[in-house]
Amino acid sequence: MNRDKILLILKWLLFLFAIGLFFVQMGYLLLQDRLQMEYVDNRLFYILNILIVVCLYVAIIMLFSFKRNFHIIGASLVSLFIILNVFLLTESNKEIKNIVSISPNLTHVFSIKEDQQLDEALYYRSYYRIVSRPKERLPSPITGDYDVRWLTNDVAVFTYETTGDKKQAFIGTYGDRNEGVAYYYVGAEIQGVWENEDVSVVSSPDEIQVIENGNTTVYDWDQIHQFGTLAIVLEKEQEADWVIALGKDFKLRSVETGNSPAGSIILYKVGIENKEVDTLNYKSLQ
Amino acid sequence: MKRIAVFLATLMILALSIGIYLYENQNPIYYPKPTNPIETVEPAEQEPESFEPLTDEAISYTLQNDELNITYNGGADWINVPIDKELLFHGEYHGNGTELIEDSYILTENIAAFIYGEETNQEYVEKVLLKYSYDRGETWQDGVIAEALSGVRFRKVDFLNESFGYVVLSGGRTMSQEFSIVYLTHDGGATWEATAEPPTTRLIAFGSFIDEQTGFLSYGTINPEIPDVFVTQDGGKSWKQAQFNMPPEYVRVFVQAEDPEKHEDYLTVLLNQGPNGDYEGGKVKGEFRSEDNGLTWEFFREVQPDEQG
Repeated sequence: MNRDKILLILKWLLFLFAIGLFFVQMGYLLLQDRLQMEYVDNRLFYILNILIVVCLYVAIIMLFSFKRNFHIIGASLVSLFIILNVFLLTESNKEIKNIVSISPNLTHVFSIKEDQQLDEALYYRSYYRIVSRPKERLPSPITGDYDVRWLTNDVAVFTYETTGDKKQAFIGTYGDRNEGVAYYYVGAEIQGVWENEDVSVVSSPDEIQVIENGNTTVYDWDQIHQFGTLAIVLEKEQEADWVIALGKDFKLRSVETGNSPAGSIILYKVGIENKEVDTLNYKSLQ
Repeated sequence: MKRIAVFLATLMILALSIGIYLYENQNPIYYPKPTNPIETVEPAEQEPESFEPLTDEAISYTLQNDELNITYNGGADWINVPIDKELLFHGEYHGNGTELIEDSYILTENIAAFIYGEETNQEYVEKVLLKYSYDRGETWQDGVIAEALSGVRFRKVDFLNESFGYVVLSGGRTMSQEFSIVYLTHDGGATWEATAEPPTTRLIAFGSFIDEQTGFLSYGTINPEIPDVFVTQDGGKSWKQAQFNMPPEYVRVFVQAEDPEKHEDYLTVLLNQGPNGDYEGGKVKGEFRSEDNGLTWEFFREVQPDEQG
């Protein structure tokens, strides 16, 4: 196959790609109300519009030859369309601010949409990577900085500042470690001592202790909040302090594991700037 | 080829422009009620995944896990209705409890309402209540319909507007005799008043109101021979027997009146052939019309099974 032929095929593929995206967009418009779904990021709608029109225009002017007038009219119409979409995109993001993060293995999307007028933020559960449904209202509004950190491919910690400069953590979890068998309490399932060189966690029936550099902090069960079946947040003075998530290799206690949990847990000190994540291994029950 | 491509592209850009207009004017999608994180990880978080709505409509319900859950979006999100499931089937009920009793509930965009019964100190005597919500299950109210009824059999609830609704109940059946009674609300379900009791103890088959003054009760379920309908035109203060002028060829054919319908200046009602009818296959119904708001009815036409809504 010569070079020209390949180029021609590529041009047609670009044209078909634009048509494909067009149908995605139309499908979305027709079904979003019925299925009660939105794009994970509201800006995606405008970005798709721009992408479709640009691909169409480029494909057409490369495939066929036109008079100069067509180029002028076509280019100005396309630019107008792009300007309109960029304008609407920025306007829409002023009303509803999108916070989106994709998991390291690219399978889950953590999505939060913050309604600037109502001053409330909603967590969206994503489906098929591009659409989502509102799942939960964040307990407190986002007033300052924020950050999304994926502890594993299915646990995303959203750290944010809320009223009174307090920091809070909201966790998006995608799946569980028990093949959907039943609901369980993370705090109870990690009962025992977990440690690495720097820090250790002791979960007992009464409380969870975090021991760091010889300093022990104790968290009662009412300071511990669970998200999904994968993670808990430990709170101190109404602020999120630590997040404990079940590691990828974590196994619930069963006869196979000698009646004790196995694998590792992940400990994360809640902080907007903090990028450090500790992996702790199971040591003993006491 | 060139023309087709340009035409297609123009069409698509037009569609996208219309799309932008629609997108900007769309309704926001429904948000779940506020919850704090610890509540959402309770059973509500994991069980709904396995719930299956009983119908294909967006607004539906399920009785799985021995509880009543309703959905407004085809099963994506579920709202628990705080009623014990068995209370929905109190009284004389012979089903297996997998579906709600027909007409004993309303589930629409505007209102969700369920008739249920509570035990009282006396054996076989129940208190009948309506649990209802006007905000898609965020808050629920209870209205007491009847303080004490025995063995409720027929139960139907409906609202004609935001304030006016009716409940038809029957109970205390022995053999083929029972009492039947209608309750009305004028405040959206909070309080209920009993209407006068209709002068019959036959088994009720249908009951409805078409406006705040006019209501119908249709009797005879086992072996009806002539339509037996009582009508009120004064909001339930009195009941009069309705007169059906039956052409001779339809005597003992059309025997049971269903719920009447209101038209501009007349009413219509379908009369079916009862459980044992065999005229033209037994499914043909007779349409009757009334021009005096339900007191007297004239035969109008036969209605074939495929035109019955």
